[in-house]
Amino acid sequence: MKDPYVLAWGALLFTSIAWYGFLVFFIGARAGKELKTLIKDLTIARPPEK
Amino acid sequence: MTLSPIDWIIVVVYVVGCLSAGLWMRRFIRGVDDFTIAGREVHVNLGIASLAATEMGLVTVMYTAQLGYEKGFSGEIIGVIMAAAFLLVGLTGFVIRPLRDAGVMTIPELFEKRFGHRVRWLAGVFVALGGLLNMGIFLRLGGDFLVHATGMPASWLESVMTVLLVLVLLYTVLGGMLSVLVTDYLQFILVGLGIVTTSVMVIINIGWTNLITTLQDTWTASGGTLPHPFNPAHPTSFGWGYLIWMFVFQLAVVTTWQTTISRVLATKDSGTATRMYRRVSYYFVGRFLLPGMWGIAAFVYFKQHGGLPAGLNSMTAMPRYLSAVLPIGLMGLLVAAMIAAEMSTISGYMLTWATVIYNDIITPCLRNPLSNKGQLLLTRMILLGIAVFLLFFGLWYQLPGDAWTFLAVTGNIYLASVFTLLIAGLYWPRANATGAYAALLLGAIGPITFLVLAQVMPQHQIPAEVAGGSSFGLAFLGMIVGSLATRAPAPVLNPQPTA
Repeated sequence: MKDPYVLAWGALLFTSIAWYGFLVFFIGARAGKELKTLIKDLTIARPPEK
Repeated sequence: MTLSPIDWIIVVVYVVGCLSAGLWMRRFIRGVDDFTIAGREVHVNLGIASLAATEMGLVTVMYTAQLGYEKGFSGEIIGVIMAAAFLLVGLTGFVIRPLRDAGVMTIPELFEKRFGHRVRWLAGVFVALGGLLNMGIFLRLGGDFLVHATGMPASWLESVMTVLLVLVLLYTVLGGMLSVLVTDYLQFILVGLGIVTTSVMVIINIGWTNLITTLQDTWTASGGTLPHPFNPAHPTSFGWGYLIWMFVFQLAVVTTWQTTISRVLATKDSGTATRMYRRVSYYFVGRFLLPGMWGIAAFVYFKQHGGLPAGLNSMTAMPRYLSAVLPIGLMGLLVAAMIAAEMSTISGYMLTWATVIYNDIITPCLRNPLSNKGQLLLTRMILLGIAVFLLFFGLWYQLPGDAWTFLAVTGNIYLASVFTLLIAGLYWPRANATGAYAALLLGAIGPITFLVLAQVMPQHQIPAEVAGGSSFGLAFLGMIVGSLATRAPAPVLNPQPTA
């Protein structure tokens, strides 16, 4: 278990799980706001066709 | 069926919600710019979510798990190399900064400015050919996952995947990139949740120490004949030749792969594009390593439960393992997440290749420009054609070797030559059209030879790293010799920033 390769893969794996969890909430919240702004801008610039 | 009614409800709610959101966005489509690059209105976080969702497909989950099953953790080194390539390009702006500043819609469009319209057309053909062949196995691999994870009869595979493709086609044809952005966002959230919770459950189920010691013991017992599970440079694993090819390959992927570049071209400016690359880079470690770990866990699980059951292989072991160990509710979340991954990838890829076919192959051949409505109709018809191709190609084609190698080699058909053209076009004033033709043709020889030999003479198969690595060498050689041997004048590209 002290094999440097095992330690490196373990570090990468557990960091990835933490990073994915962070991304889902952090990027998810920010991207959600940007999407809202995008739709708002599009609605003003291009009112829906009837 | 291994899914409970609760699992099915989760899946159906997601699919209906995603479809509704995608269809709702069609109201904003006014022209082909809105349809293909969302009017260049994308900010950094939405760009990250869309890029991450598109590049994390069900096909990705399947081939990374297969790599994990066959090569252990060593198989997942490709994700580390890819992350390094994203970070390097994000820090330096190599290729993507001048590309975004040029204000083009596709990469071949840039080639017209530098090498003339014939090179653009030929590059468009190579890009579309490599991209479509590459995408051809997405449905089959996605279907394999669903069959083994849900326990549905194998005979349903074609029908289920056809229905899924029709749903994706519906919102992509009507809403284009704007629909893809909204659905990508939903898929980014769901896929992220599904991958994190499943990874935690897998580690709890199999046990970290058990996972590591079983891999070590298996390799030791094999006398070093199996691939080394932790050291990717070991001769029994990938070896240095393959890793060097992969580094050049991934550098080419992050700078030229059209589905990735379409997000760069949809950003507000080149600063947003480089920021997006830096922030998304580490995502690609997990993109390989987390589903790869599910494949490794499947290997350990079946090794400790009497071996791989009949009818399963290194590809389908992972979904069967997950269906055996995940609890009700979580299995539904995972299947919904994987359907989300499949939908976002197929929609993003279909739109990208349709844009290339429309913009670089058909439009340059038209004598009179089409009306706005005509452009939209044509792009939508191309999308339909791609969907039909996917259905038929996916049903009959047999993979030569593992899925990742197939994807890498088919992508290499255009990656080597287009990467060469981009670098020469942006950074080498002496490059000319003759060099570009030579690079395009020579770069495709290795990968096409690999694919043809796999079908007609499988016993004489050449190693993937030789086919892929030589294509980069030949493409660069063709560009240098072709350009230096001729004196054809070429205007120097001086891209102006476009908002």
